[in-house]
Amino acid sequence: MKGSVVLALLVCGALLSACETQRPVPDGPVSGIFKDDLGREVRIPVPLNRVISLAPSITEMAFAAGAGDRLIGVTSYCNFPAEAEKIQKVGDTLTPNIESIVALRPQLVLVSTASQLEAFASLLERQQISVYVLDVKKVDDVPDRLRRLGRIFWTNEPAEEAAKNFELRQKAVESKIAQAERPKVFLQISNEPLFTIGNESFMTELVERAGGISLTKDISGGYPKISKETALAMDPDVIILSDSEDNREPNIVFNNSKAVKNGRVYKIDADILSRPGPRLADALEQISGHLNK
Amino acid sequence: MTLAAATLLGSERVSIFEMTEQGRAILFDIRLPRVLLGACVGASLAVAGASLQALLRNPLAEPYLLGVSNGAALGTLLAFVFLDGIGWARPLLAFAGAIIATFAVYQMARSRAGMNVERLVLSGVIVTTFLSSIIVLLTSLLDAARLRGYTFWLLGDLSQATYDGFYMTLAAATIGTIVLSSQARALNLMMVGERDAFDFGVELGRVRIIIFGMASVLVGTAVAASGSVGYVGLIVPHLVRLAVGSDNRLVVPMSAIAGAIFVVLADTVARTAIAPRELPVGAITALIGAPLFIYLLRRN
Repeated sequence: MKGSVVLALLVCGALLSACETQRPVPDGPVSGIFKDDLGREVRIPVPLNRVISLAPSITEMAFAAGAGDRLIGVTSYCNFPAEAEKIQKVGDTLTPNIESIVALRPQLVLVSTASQLEAFASLLERQQISVYVLDVKKVDDVPDRLRRLGRIFWTNEPAEEAAKNFELRQKAVESKIAQAERPKVFLQISNEPLFTIGNESFMTELVERAGGISLTKDISGGYPKISKETALAMDPDVIILSDSEDNREPNIVFNNSKAVKNGRVYKIDADILSRPGPRLADALEQISGHLNK
Repeated sequence: MTLAAATLLGSERVSIFEMTEQGRAILFDIRLPRVLLGACVGASLAVAGASLQALLRNPLAEPYLLGVSNGAALGTLLAFVFLDGIGWARPLLAFAGAIIATFAVYQMARSRAGMNVERLVLSGVIVTTFLSSIIVLLTSLLDAARLRGYTFWLLGDLSQATYDGFYMTLAAATIGTIVLSSQARALNLMMVGERDAFDFGVELGRVRIIIFGMASVLVGTAVAASGSVGYVGLIVPHLVRLAVGSDNRLVVPMSAIAGAIFVVLADTVARTAIAPRELPVGAITALIGAPLFIYLLRRN
């Protein structure tokens, strides 16, 4: 026991000194200070070449912002764009492997969630690694965060282009909303047990912006489990399935709903629908295509 | 009466006088099977708890606390992962898991000096945590999306009720209650002392096998249908004993009725408390059961 502690300390010491000798401490004029989505002020070095992303949505945003080639580590779920699959995996969002992260000697780690963030950040900061929180809660956050990534990576041009493109596609979808009655939509996250989207999910906003009314928009929480009785009584016009292995069919309580009777059940790839990143434009266009038929 | 009242309560208002097609679907396709399944699960767990307590002469013997429910849950998970297409695989593997866990706890708790309360509870804790760790291991290795439903179900959830599940648990609960009630005289004698029971002609080994086997059948089918609804086997027999005394000829069958009422009431709370959202029924039963467990442990 004692021996392993000593060994661990030696390894940490070795890592520390390695960091110090191989690149300058991020201080002075060669760095900028950026406020993250928790209001923390994070010192980020320039040039920024070694970055780890701990969320599939952040990986997609970094690529869209023209900084995909700076990523040296991603999560095991990061499968888009195709280049992301070739980047070294460092665990997943909720259980990142801190040793693999430190061993890659990144300058910056981008994270989306804040669980245990304090401990995680202070541990990495002791290794001279900055931790920056990038949290997308609304559709409008996507172009804003793309532009911010452009400033952080000094890739303003492609980032601005990606942000503009996102906004244009979003506007095009919103201009297409038919004047007629908006269909009532039930978005099913999982079949058994029956989970849906609530008022805290950005998917509720997607449905509304694409021209539908989300039947569950007043239910509190992000992804609540809903009573089957209530779901049956909602009688949706359209059912959207977040397409994953446990969610290929609408729940049996919808068997007599207008949506099932009229064949208006649609699947959208869960990766596109559930990652708050640049592909939300694809999700918007797909939902809009299904609703405005 | 409880069943009728519970059937009339829910997240959606349904009038029984002006029945619409939708009201009928809510009442008969969703709410009624759930209430009926809850009743059978409650009866099964309470009867299993009552007879295990009498057999082990220990008021804290409870399927959930002894790890029997977790054994059944692991069996169900294995059936779910490897034999998903086969309908009868879940209750069967759940039963196998329950009986293995039962015997593991029994063997660990037994000592030359007999079986004391602490030893049994500790063995239960060890078996429970061991099985939980296997469940956690399996759920982390397997695809997260596929098992999302399973982890919710693990807490005890009646929302996936079907008539098929109801018929199966009804059969198990009926047979189990009859068989275990038939052993009530032997259990009464064994509560006095195993040697005395032996002198009165009780075949100890046979009684033990019947009780362990039947309790495992009850817990296995209940868990396969609704996950691990905890503490039912602790709370219900305790209340029944307060009401009718400790004669097992009354305690075992009365536990079936009281258990049915208790789980139906708990699930009515789970369905309506934060409607249209839902709570797992296991959270409600544990909320009532855990304080009672502490009370019983201190009194011992």
